[in-house]
Amino acid sequence: MNPLFAFQLRRVGRNRQFLFFTVLMPALFTVFFTKVFGGFAGDAADRQAYATTYMVSMMAYGALGAALGATIRVSFDRASGWLRQLRITPVPTSSVVAVDVAVGMLLTLPGLVVVAAVGRFVNGVDLPPLTWAALVAVLWLGSGAFVALGLLVGHALDEKAAGGAIGILGTILAALGGLWVPVQLFPEALRAVAHTLPSYWYAELGRDVAAGGAPAPLAVLALAGFAAAFALLAAAVAQRRALHAVAG
Amino acid sequence: MPRETALELESLTVRYGGTVAVDGLDLRLRRGETVALLGPNGAGKSTVVNAVLGLVPSSGRISVLGRDPREAVRAGCVGAMLQHGGLPGEARVGEVLALVRRSFGRAGRAIAWPLDDLVATAGIDGLLDRPVEALSGGQRQRVLLAVALAGEPPLLLLDEPTSAMDVAGRRAFWTTMRALADRGTTVVFATHHLEEADAVADRVVVVAGGRVVADGPAAAVKAGIGGRTVAFTAAPGTPLHDLPGTTALDRAGDRVVLSTDDVEATLQALLARGTRLADLEVHGASLEDAVLSLTATRTTTGATR
Repeated sequence: MNPLFAFQLRRVGRNRQFLFFTVLMPALFTVFFTKVFGGFAGDAADRQAYATTYMVSMMAYGALGAALGATIRVSFDRASGWLRQLRITPVPTSSVVAVDVAVGMLLTLPGLVVVAAVGRFVNGVDLPPLTWAALVAVLWLGSGAFVALGLLVGHALDEKAAGGAIGILGTILAALGGLWVPVQLFPEALRAVAHTLPSYWYAELGRDVAAGGAPAPLAVLALAGFAAAFALLAAAVAQRRALHAVAG
Repeated sequence: MPRETALELESLTVRYGGTVAVDGLDLRLRRGETVALLGPNGAGKSTVVNAVLGLVPSSGRISVLGRDPREAVRAGCVGAMLQHGGLPGEARVGEVLALVRRSFGRAGRAIAWPLDDLVATAGIDGLLDRPVEALSGGQRQRVLLAVALAGEPPLLLLDEPTSAMDVAGRRAFWTTMRALADRGTTVVFATHHLEEADAVADRVVVVAGGRVVADGPAAAVKAGIGGRTVAFTAAPGTPLHDLPGTTALDRAGDRVVLSTDDVEATLQALLARGTRLADLEVHGASLEDAVLSLTATRTTTGATR
């Protein structure tokens, strides 16, 4: 394994909060909300549909939180001077960036898998094996958009603002993107807002796959657009940062 | 002989927006030299260090052991302690060192230097298992030194390396640097601690306004100023005007300090007038005087340019 990759992974792994918010909390939400609101469902089919939708939402919530949490940390490394220190070792800058992306992508997996397992074994969500695999794979790939967003925010904001942004951004994306409360229950205006957020389209991918179909082209296109925009902006901001790295 | 040159800068210029931080600076350092970059804050010392490391865009030519900055860093030819460098959180000292050592190993620089020896040289015994957050300022600085030394680089750049160290720490640090220099490492350090430059460096390069204003052994830089001071205690009203050689006169209460470029003439004139010279002291210029004088001139000419 690439030594920098192992090093970064170990650092995030030490962070208990990270594991709590990206794995444990979405898993607990999945159980709790399905048990509470699933109780209002009329029949078993309704309950099954609710459990599936809510599980997909929580998979998306956990994954986007993990992607942001793992990448916004780049801001802390800039503030501590570690990024600059790393730039004067023989490690190429391209590997540093590649490792950031890889760590972000890898860390979205535990949340996805654990929430899926909770959906399956605790809430009794019943999907064909291939659908399960496709669901996890699609949401995993889609989380790339939030890895890019996290890198953008991490490079753009200073340490304190970035620390706050991890929680706030995750909450906004989840709440307004319809991950906590389905957009069907949103008032008209708020629903329009949801449609401008990557988190809505991300969950939409998952819902399409869980329903047994392929993701809608519109959802794929929207999320890919967000991902590309975030990545380009992140690269631009990071480059500007490099130029202004030293003021002394 | 290019192999003898560790670092060569030709009309190095660095601009931050509209400000010129380094202004056509020329410098050539031989291998194994210990060089102090001396100058006031904002003189451009840090910028020179950062440009040599490829951290800031610059114009002019930089050759680090015959390579351009990025290449030299990639090849593991340079180690550095930066003023704004740091260590990562949520990591242990030993993990950071292992990572950096491996990166130098990949760059093809055999890490012939055993970890134990590196740890002893940097003075970080017992710190390898410690979380970075638990280090004191001085310990952190020594760990950063170990990071800089990890690849046994032939060129070492140190930007204000002892700023967080206590007196004992400083002494130990410079002893280490001397030992490295004796092994052939070229050591360049930016500092405004004049005693350090005087005591440690073979060569002092005074930088002001982004240019080299003096360059040579500490003694030569001091001699270049040539000025001395004559100080004594005299009653107010003692006539002190028109003394030969005198360039400046300072009075603080009864204490008189005359700056002169001809001590003998000044003293003879004072004695001829029958002036009482209680508590007489004569000083040669310190390196501090030299730097102040050099950088002051520079600022003046810079302003009129």
